[in-house]
Amino acid sequence: MTGAALDEAAAPRVPDRRPPRQGRLALTLRRESTWLGWWFVAPAVIVTVALVVYPLVLGFETSIHAQAPTLTAPSKLVGAANYSDVLKDPNTVSATLHTLTYVGIALALEIGGGLAIAVVLHRAFRGRGIVLAILIMPWALPSVVSGVLWQRIFAPDNGLLNSILVNLHIIHQPEVWMANGWAIPFITLVHVWGVLPLVALILLAGLQSIPDEVYSASAVDGANAVRQFWHITLPLLRPALAVAITVGLVQAITIFDEIYVLNGTALNTASVLMQVYNSAFVDADFAHGTALAFLVALATGVFAVISLLASRRSTV
Amino acid sequence: MVFSRRRLQSGMYLTAVVCAALALSACGSSSGGSSGGGSSAPAAHFNPNAKIRGQHITVLLPYAVPQSILNQFTQQTGVKLTYVTAGWDNVKSKLIVANTAGTYIADVTEFDWSFTGQFGGSGWYVPLESGLGPQLISDLGNVNKAFDTNGHTYAACYSNDYRLSLYNKKDFAAAGITSWPTTFSQLDSVLATLKAKHAAPYPMSLPLGATEGGLTPWYLTTLAMGGQLFDAHNKPVFGQPNSTASKALEWEIQALKKGWISPGSVTLDDTPAANNFNAGEAAILYASGPGPLATANDPSQSKIAGNAAAGLMPGMNGPGSSFGLPEGLAIPVTAQHKDAALAFIKWWLEPKTQEEMYTTGSVGFLPCSLRALKLLSKSGKLEDGQVLQAELSHIVPLFPQGAPVWYSKFDTRAQQLINAAAKGEMTPSNALSQLASYTSTLASGG
Repeated sequence: MTGAALDEAAAPRVPDRRPPRQGRLALTLRRESTWLGWWFVAPAVIVTVALVVYPLVLGFETSIHAQAPTLTAPSKLVGAANYSDVLKDPNTVSATLHTLTYVGIALALEIGGGLAIAVVLHRAFRGRGIVLAILIMPWALPSVVSGVLWQRIFAPDNGLLNSILVNLHIIHQPEVWMANGWAIPFITLVHVWGVLPLVALILLAGLQSIPDEVYSASAVDGANAVRQFWHITLPLLRPALAVAITVGLVQAITIFDEIYVLNGTALNTASVLMQVYNSAFVDADFAHGTALAFLVALATGVFAVISLLASRRSTV
Repeated sequence: MVFSRRRLQSGMYLTAVVCAALALSACGSSSGGSSGGGSSAPAAHFNPNAKIRGQHITVLLPYAVPQSILNQFTQQTGVKLTYVTAGWDNVKSKLIVANTAGTYIADVTEFDWSFTGQFGGSGWYVPLESGLGPQLISDLGNVNKAFDTNGHTYAACYSNDYRLSLYNKKDFAAAGITSWPTTFSQLDSVLATLKAKHAAPYPMSLPLGATEGGLTPWYLTTLAMGGQLFDAHNKPVFGQPNSTASKALEWEIQALKKGWISPGSVTLDDTPAANNFNAGEAAILYASGPGPLATANDPSQSKIAGNAAAGLMPGMNGPGSSFGLPEGLAIPVTAQHKDAALAFIKWWLEPKTQEEMYTTGSVGFLPCSLRALKLLSKSGKLEDGQVLQAELSHIVPLFPQGAPVWYSKFDTRAQQLINAAAKGEMTPSNALSQLASYTSTLASGG
């Protein structure tokens, strides 16, 4: 034996308690991978905190303080008083009733109309692509632009609607549509015109996910088109319907642009979001405006959760 | 995929740099002031020796001005200019949002007489007295006092707006009417005659929309009928059943019911109402300013050019009162180039500039500057100068104590309630009663 070998043989053996080389590397990689993941997510978190969480916290703080008459004077903490004030304001009550009317009419037209359009577009026919493209156009237009277009139709003095109805002798003199009982239905119509394509596309996607074999099998059992629709199409379309209802609901609750363009801040058509705008940006009363905005957000959130829960239940 | 330590470290450092950049940009975009607190108006921000050539300022006003006129400012001072317009109500909303957030919106902005109480008291604007100097302020006359509060002057008047009426001489002649009425009973007769003779589709253009322009006729009619909206302590007096304000509102609604004004007026603002008059669709433009007279007689802007004339506001026994709605140019505390902004204001107030602004049909600002008014009168360019100057003697303040800090809230509620009454959604007495109750709450600090 050489001297080195003798030295090695004589050296005490220390047990190697280190984890196996492969396991130690895996642990290190996992730890560093976790940190790397956090670093990559950090920009999104920072942006979300800066643009969503921080304004929410600031807004809530504003909503629980009294608004000083001169807007930069110190304001005192009043707790829920601003929330109570807005709930008791008659304008808020009427705006809420108007909003519920908008929601009711909009949902009925959007779901009914969307379903009809989806059923028609579900089958292949010549020119289907062109029809689909035309259908999407109202949705692609900003709602303000839609409002301006429809303003020309509803204009009291020389609008298209009055011209047609007067010439057909349905009415004898031009109507001021934004000043009578038709104001809310017509504004809702403009809103539906823009949202209906989206609802139709959601329902069309739902229809296209239903396997054709189900219909074939039902046809073999003697089911006609109506029975197929009621007992196959509608039940299997429930998840898509839930999504469509949620989308339509949120869009209708937050209706603003069409109202503002067609009838400004007039009381007879004001929605809750219009009331928020009036409070915060016209009256410069940010305390009450943000309080009402939080209430609207809460109500919208509750409705959205209910829709999503209903959707989850129907997909189970 | 196999990660090396070096690669991991590089990724972490890169991500850290990106995060820091985002955080800094998020923090750095906000400037001083917030809705919860703020500073009072600082001392003068002007440096008479400042070098402004090459700077770029933004001006935000509700009215368009031809680029040819604006270019003169750049040629004279070397300051580049971006001129932005938006509707009057929209400008106000933008100013409220930007100033509350303490963010930059423009170097020079609109400052209406109604802003003085709230905006001036909030310290959002730079006092101008040191920058303008006593001579220029004196030249702007009493009209500019509408922008004074807390011992400071917050704006320089650029539009000597007040209310009178315009009429179409040709339509009047066609209906056999030889002179402008001086009392409301005469005005009613004129309107009935115009309606009967179909001189125009509708005798009168009067905005009644839920906007500032739709509310002004009610203010004006109340004053013209010899009444007031507020007493000497800014307390509402319009809520009483037999008040002059109530009669004024009834008169407007009756005009609507009798077909003297278009049914669509309930959705009209003042600019579309003026456009209807310029298009020959009405023989009278009620509650107009003096500026639209020049536009109405401009062939490039109006179908009735050469036939528009001004008429004093009728009263109960003779010409009635009117009120001033001057508009000023002001500098927000968030302005980036305050000296260049002051230079713009001074340029605008030069008599030559004001003369050009008035005589260019698309603009039509009646100057506040006494020097400019004299220049226009001397050169014979003041349209219906005698009538315009005569109306000045009938001007009374809408608020005896100046526009209060709660004016904005009162204004919004008044627009909605008066519009609702015009649409028939509530009776005039109900509308005014609600408004009086709301105003009393505001006035008492509620």
